[in-house]
Amino acid sequence: MSTKASGMTTGVTASGRDPVTGYVSDERRRMGAWLIRLSTLALAALILMQSLHAAGMISFGFTNWQPVLIAYTLWGAALCAGNVMRDGEAGWRALFVLPAILFTIALVIFPTIFGFVIAFSDWNLQSVTGRRFNGLDNLRQLWADPYFWNALGNMVFYVLSVLVQYVIAFGLALLLNQDIRARKFFRVAFLLPFMLSPVAVGWMIGKSMLEYRFGPVTRLLRTLGWDEPTLLTTPWLAKTTIAAMDAWVWIPFMMILILAGLQALPKEVQEAAKVDGATGWQGFWQVTFPLMLPVSITTIVLRIIFQLKLADIVITTTSGGPGGATDTVSSFIFREYKDRSNVGYGTMIAEVYLILIIVFVALLLWGTNRFMQRHRY
Amino acid sequence: MKVELYNTLSRRSVLKGAVAASALGAAGSVGLPVRIASAAEDVRAQILAIPGVGKGQPTDADWQKVGALCLEPTKANVKEGEFKGVELSFMGLNNQNVHNVLFRGLSKAWADYTGATINWIDLAQADYNARLQQAIATGTVDFDVIEMGAPFEGDVCGKGLASEMPDWVKTQIDMDDYVGYLKAPVGTWEGKTYRISCDGDCHNFNYRSDVFADAGLAEEWKKAGGEGDWGVPKTWQQVNAYTKFLKGKQLNGQDLYGYLDPCKGWGGFAFYFLGSRATAYAKHPDDKAWLFDADTMKPRVNNPAWVRAIQDVLDSLPFEPADQLNADPGTTGFQQFLAGTGTMLSWWGDIGSNVKTNDSSVIGDVTAFDILPGSDDVYNAGTGAWDKLASGPNYAPNMAYIGWGIYVMARVDSDPVKQKAAWSLAAHLGGKDISLWMAAYPSGFQPYRNSHFNVAEWTAAGYDEAFIKSYLDSEANSYNHPNAAIEPRIPGIFQYYSVAEDELAKIYAGQMSAQDGANAIAAAWEKITDQIGRDNQIKLYKASLGM
Repeated sequence: MSTKASGMTTGVTASGRDPVTGYVSDERRRMGAWLIRLSTLALAALILMQSLHAAGMISFGFTNWQPVLIAYTLWGAALCAGNVMRDGEAGWRALFVLPAILFTIALVIFPTIFGFVIAFSDWNLQSVTGRRFNGLDNLRQLWADPYFWNALGNMVFYVLSVLVQYVIAFGLALLLNQDIRARKFFRVAFLLPFMLSPVAVGWMIGKSMLEYRFGPVTRLLRTLGWDEPTLLTTPWLAKTTIAAMDAWVWIPFMMILILAGLQALPKEVQEAAKVDGATGWQGFWQVTFPLMLPVSITTIVLRIIFQLKLADIVITTTSGGPGGATDTVSSFIFREYKDRSNVGYGTMIAEVYLILIIVFVALLLWGTNRFMQRHRY
Repeated sequence: MKVELYNTLSRRSVLKGAVAASALGAAGSVGLPVRIASAAEDVRAQILAIPGVGKGQPTDADWQKVGALCLEPTKANVKEGEFKGVELSFMGLNNQNVHNVLFRGLSKAWADYTGATINWIDLAQADYNARLQQAIATGTVDFDVIEMGAPFEGDVCGKGLASEMPDWVKTQIDMDDYVGYLKAPVGTWEGKTYRISCDGDCHNFNYRSDVFADAGLAEEWKKAGGEGDWGVPKTWQQVNAYTKFLKGKQLNGQDLYGYLDPCKGWGGFAFYFLGSRATAYAKHPDDKAWLFDADTMKPRVNNPAWVRAIQDVLDSLPFEPADQLNADPGTTGFQQFLAGTGTMLSWWGDIGSNVKTNDSSVIGDVTAFDILPGSDDVYNAGTGAWDKLASGPNYAPNMAYIGWGIYVMARVDSDPVKQKAAWSLAAHLGGKDISLWMAAYPSGFQPYRNSHFNVAEWTAAGYDEAFIKSYLDSEANSYNHPNAAIEPRIPGIFQYYSVAEDELAKIYAGQMSAQDGANAIAAAWEKITDQIGRDNQIKLYKASLGM
């Protein structure tokens, strides 16, 4: 809305007072301020009471924290209403972001902070003592945990496999960018694996098609002369098989992003290269590929972020075996939580892994950004 | 066949039996008991004929018929429509398309008669422990009835989460019929009874009778210089020797393999299979404990007995199928043994109840059973020496998991109608007659009542007498064995098993020696004991061993 059209002006006057709020009466502003203060006080009192109750210091309180969550929601509503009453138009403007901020605090920031509290706890669900603060013990245990380091080492392999996936995805995208027969059909058909749940892929391919005795793939391999196709029991082969299954699911995702990039390339540049006598390979390597680098890097970075969370196919197909050869950090965390109810240590692994991912992705983005700037892409 | 038609037929036949019995009763003063016994026997015979052994795998229609025929005990305690409007949540497994899947059909007639509705929470075996522990720890028990194993009683009954069994239920299900080892203290906590048993678990030894009866193999065994005569192994030493011998041999054109070890984790449940190899070495007749030292909870898993069992697996693996490292117990039991791969297998009684009734089984006529093999010597944890018993090899059947039971949660106690409904449902599914059918057909449950060991009933259902006698003897002799290895009912038992599975996977993959791996398991177990609370674990471990 134009401020002129609404008859209002913006900017701060010489007195330092925003003229937008000038339309709010003092009484209304006071009421808004009191609404915010009282609701905040009530919420704080409720949290304090429930905290003391949970700590066993007072006898009265709620059986669980659900009423506090409801109180937080009501406080959020009161905060929004109080802002509007107190600040007028500026309060209305705040409504565009305030609910989103409160939502993010409740569902992202608070759980992350609470996660750190749990991560520094000795909390086994079956322990008679319940949760106990144990300082840096979980961190020390993590540092000396061979399962974690093994899984992290496997993650390096899985992340590197993204480069292979990228090459295949690029090839397929180039193919689908040509005027081939039934192009639309192939575009949809190539996308199908991506639409499947990785858990279903784990069962359909890992547990059925690759089954050692009756799986069609292993039978075919036997027919071709491989007597014992131990795809999931020889460690390096099992890791490669998992990576291949994962690639089958995710290559379509990379392919579709690259295809979108290829279709956005100006045709004139390629035509000019042809006129200049460039061969097909030169046209690709010296024109198409460099122009596609920004899209390629975005695709690879996104794919790596997904890859770092690999777990479902591993859990359903090998449970991390043989001997941890296919284990991932996420599937290891899954076992700590699920089979051992070891919430404190499991959360510490998850938080440390989160930090590692953030640092890794930040470095990756920084590095690629510098690379792009240096080469003026 | 339509269930309604079947019901009409069944009722008619029941009535015919009752009329005949009444006529008999009129001639004497014992008429009523005679009539009841006749009707009950009639029901047992009828349900065992559904669908009949060798007539394909039972379907949902079959389950519904069985459930309807076994409704009389419920009718004696509950009026028609008494639970109208009551909604119950039942949490259980969906393994191999049985357990909860089966319960749905079996309880349909009960729900129709009582008016209650049942919501089913289905879990895969590997997810069961986590789901249960999270519900307990977070105070979000969202089920009224649960199918649960005795090892979890410490977690559930010990925390006051279960409802105490009313006396009318004990009468309805005839608890005295349980085999000895399933009677108290199993199913009880601090003197109160909480469990309706619907299963009686132990690992037995399943083997291919055709392989051990083959004259050609016997001759080859002799030529190869094998020790003793070719025949069913009685000790693990023989099992290991046969496993090595059978690699590369064939019978009727099919490759032969010996013993099948599951090497892949199964949410903690795969550890039982190492246990079955270890009990003969580790469970000394003079010592009730075999997994931990009873006074300290010091793990025994790294003592020479357990290490020897792990080493046996390592030595056997090169002679087992090439994908054994990725085989969990579900694979060894159902995809390998029932499908004709492997000659020897330790498993729960499911193999016996599936071998002739599961559509995927190809070994129905060539399977026999025994208690778990013994050992020529047994480790004495007290003296640290290997003893040779005067009585011969040491046998120690592994009472793995102590069977599934049905438990009602305390959350229904505040509503008397709901409480009665929950216990009535549990009593229906754990009833005496229905349990016979579940023991005889694929259900996930094995025989656990004295009345299940009546061979005549099984042969009338179509079982071959020699086969069923072999199966039932393997079960009964395991349950009643004086040196049976009883599983501890202590909180967190599956944490111990789960962490062991991870270490065993590394050992089996050749990343560490049996001793080093066993030491790592022991260290992890010590940590879990400290985390859960050592004193409490010692107290509960001793109680579970009856010490």
